[in-house]
Amino acid sequence: MSETAPLTDRAPGEVMFHRGSEAITIGRFLSDVAALAARLPPRPYALNLCADRYHALLGLAAALSRGQVMLLSADRSERRQREIAAAYPDLCVLADAGEGEGEPGWQPPPGALRVAAEGQGEDGPNPRIPLGQVAIIGFTSGSTGEPAAHPKPWGALVAATRAAAARFGLRGPAVSTLIATVPPQHMYGFEATMAMPLHAATASHAGPCFYPVEVAEALHAAPAPRLLVTTPLQMRALLGSGGALPPLAAVISATAPLAPELAAAAEAAWDTSVLEIYGATEIGSIASRRTTAGDTWTLYDGVALRRGAEGEVVLVDVPGMPAPVPLADAVEFQPGGGFRLLGRRADMVKLGGKRASLASLNRLLAAVEGVEDGVFVAPEDLDRNPSARLMVYAVAPGRSPGEILAALRERIEAVFLPRRVVLVSRLPRDPVGKLTRQALAELHRQAVPQKVAE
Amino acid sequence: MGYNAATRPGGRLILSTVMATEAEVAALIVEALHLEVTPAEIDPEAPLFGDGLGLDSIDALEIALAVSRRYGFQLRSDDEHNGQIFASLRNLAAHIEKNRAR
Repeated sequence: MSETAPLTDRAPGEVMFHRGSEAITIGRFLSDVAALAARLPPRPYALNLCADRYHALLGLAAALSRGQVMLLSADRSERRQREIAAAYPDLCVLADAGEGEGEPGWQPPPGALRVAAEGQGEDGPNPRIPLGQVAIIGFTSGSTGEPAAHPKPWGALVAATRAAAARFGLRGPAVSTLIATVPPQHMYGFEATMAMPLHAATASHAGPCFYPVEVAEALHAAPAPRLLVTTPLQMRALLGSGGALPPLAAVISATAPLAPELAAAAEAAWDTSVLEIYGATEIGSIASRRTTAGDTWTLYDGVALRRGAEGEVVLVDVPGMPAPVPLADAVEFQPGGGFRLLGRRADMVKLGGKRASLASLNRLLAAVEGVEDGVFVAPEDLDRNPSARLMVYAVAPGRSPGEILAALRERIEAVFLPRRVVLVSRLPRDPVGKLTRQALAELHRQAVPQKVAE
Repeated sequence: MGYNAATRPGGRLILSTVMATEAEVAALIVEALHLEVTPAEIDPEAPLFGDGLGLDSIDALEIALAVSRRYGFQLRSDDEHNGQIFASLRNLAAHIEKNRAR
């Protein structure tokens, strides 16, 4: 018989979620899981679109207990739903009962199974799940724009949770409250707020937590010790709103590089430590650092990095994953097992916690009707400015910037859409057809005259 | 504050409060998000997110920050009819007009 781990290793009386004023215990959760699991249709895959974090966790646990794979997509657009349904025709879609939360105007697809907390008791079965069973599949934008799938076995999920719990002091006995501004379907939000309460002494917060005032209210309502799980963008907004926060054990940031200045400002304003997590959809979280203490990342216990056979590529061995995974960033190994990031591999951009290659975006641009030549350009401050956006230069006689943007919207995720589409008569390609950095910088200077200080 | 056009004592037609707020909010959005369009080009009835102006959640946060600075109140997701607030410039302007502290 294959090795297994229980759905949760916590005691039935421990609190694992806060919904409004209600504290949900492990026992109550297991009862809700059993009720939902009984309603799941017998399909191999479940696409979990629940915005309510507790509903999303019920969906995961019910799918796990039935041996079904949960598909995890932070992109809930109809386009992405169509793409996933095409790749996994035999799936069941899960969405919140009631109006739900999330993007303005978002509607669950017809036929979705509506998830609610419907357990009748204070306890339920705690299923044992094979470590090798694929628990979730995360998605990145693949090289052709189609979603690329990244399966993660249950054993990898449990190992990652335990490593993070050890790193951040979440092994009990005190139960830390996790208040997160990141959606439960983003790999970082998933690991930090869905996987965590199953195997670490934590309780997640369910409820809207997006705008600064909501984050502040959720923090005030949460029992201490409190951890804020957030992003550089949200941290900047919360600092900008100027509201007072209750004592925070720590602030955890991921999805984009955190500028040391912003980290220092947050530490000073909230009298706490700002800890940054490094990870990716393919590998999950693998390292952390205190941003103000230097640029060396410390790997989680059990994670190892090594050079691949091809030199530049670094492979990461993650406990529980069947094979080593190539890293999307270039890194420099440090004495003592840590590493420094040398920046993104030139072609990769990361926006809103999602990665794409400029080459793949350029291919999609070239496929737009009427576009003869075109290029996506990342701004210089992409790694420092959490709200930085891409631009497009295109040669497209007879097409307007708005038409090109509308065509791109059909093909690429919103965060990668160019903020500006600039039409030019030709691109400054060199004799072999390449666009050098200098040529693009010159084009940019001509197209976007620098504002003169007033 | 009314939704109808009002007439000054001098007889000249002026924009209603909501129409004025609409123009002001359009300018605020264009400035906060560095949009390429001019404020007047934003269709007051088109969705701000998705297929209309094409904004996303990063933009929602930027707009919330700009609104709190200019109008002294905070946007939130659990407002009644939340989905409606960002449904169009017109709705956002009306929501601001109703909740502004300054």
